[in-house]
Amino acid sequence: MTITLRIILIICSLISFLLCVTKIKQAKLKVSNSVMWMIGSILLILMSIFSHVVEWISVKLGFMAPVNFVFLIMIGFLLVQVFIDNIRLSELNEKIKDLSHYIAIKEHNEK
Amino acid sequence: MKVLLIIPAYNEAENIEKTVKDVTTNTDYDYVVINDCSKDNTKEICEKNKFNMLSLPVNFGLTSAIQVGMKYAYQNNYDIAIQFDGDGQHQAKYLKQLVKEIEKNNADVVIGSRFVTEKKPKSMRMFGSNLLSFAIFLVTGKKIKDPTSGMRAYNKKAIEAFVKNASLTPEPDTIVYMLKKKMKIKEVQVKMKEREFGESYLKPIKAMEYMINMFFSIIFIRAITRKN
Repeated sequence: MTITLRIILIICSLISFLLCVTKIKQAKLKVSNSVMWMIGSILLILMSIFSHVVEWISVKLGFMAPVNFVFLIMIGFLLVQVFIDNIRLSELNEKIKDLSHYIAIKEHNEK
Repeated sequence: MKVLLIIPAYNEAENIEKTVKDVTTNTDYDYVVINDCSKDNTKEICEKNKFNMLSLPVNFGLTSAIQVGMKYAYQNNYDIAIQFDGDGQHQAKYLKQLVKEIEKNNADVVIGSRFVTEKKPKSMRMFGSNLLSFAIFLVTGKKIKDPTSGMRAYNKKAIEAFVKNASLTPEPDTIVYMLKKKMKIKEVQVKMKEREFGESYLKPIKAMEYMINMFFSIIFIRAITRKN
């Protein structure tokens, strides 16, 4: 990995980590939701600091370039995040639906 | 037996009055109109005529409308719940046969089917219907001739299943679920009319999406339903 890429990765992950922390403090993000992002950014920092480890693994796995391995990990991480979000969305949808049912039946009973 | 008709209505201002009149004159069953947050004056018409109505505050689609009807049936201890379209396609005179099938033959679900004795006409819609029938046959080994029919009667056991399991929908994949749960599903010949006014829940553009959803659900999700 080039030194520029490592610096960019470190900066980006630091920013995302700080963003997580400040958003939690402002109570805009739930702790449980932010943990994954923090783990992600720590992972990025680790990968850019110990880039020789990444290089060693990527060679062993047969990647053309170590950076490809980094991207693969990031994509995998994002896919998991999107999937978790999707589950949460469905849950929310279900809850709103239940609420609307509750309102409709309650209104009916009160008449 | 206490029978409840669940009449989902979304933007059915032109049809709803006639549908409910048909129900009240031809049967002595209870009914509940589910107004799925219609944009037109369906709600006002129901209120003016003092129809028994549940009015949902947000639009969530047909599934949600049937589910809230099932909850209502469950809470008010109905023995049979029948879904009955509010768009004037279904005729109330066939309802007695559906109820009789549950009372006499102990069926859990009775489908008001267009094709028990009559042949399916050849059209794009019926091609889709055949595909679904085939998928159901593949997964359960049972033949359901009109899987997309919107006129279905459910007994207490099925009502309870609807209330307890939020993933159940008034669609063909639920038939597979119920067959897998060893429920008895019967079909009764009925005739349906073409809708007179308004648009169907199932617009042509959505038909493709509907088919894909149903196929994936039947083959990958409902097929592996456990018996108990």
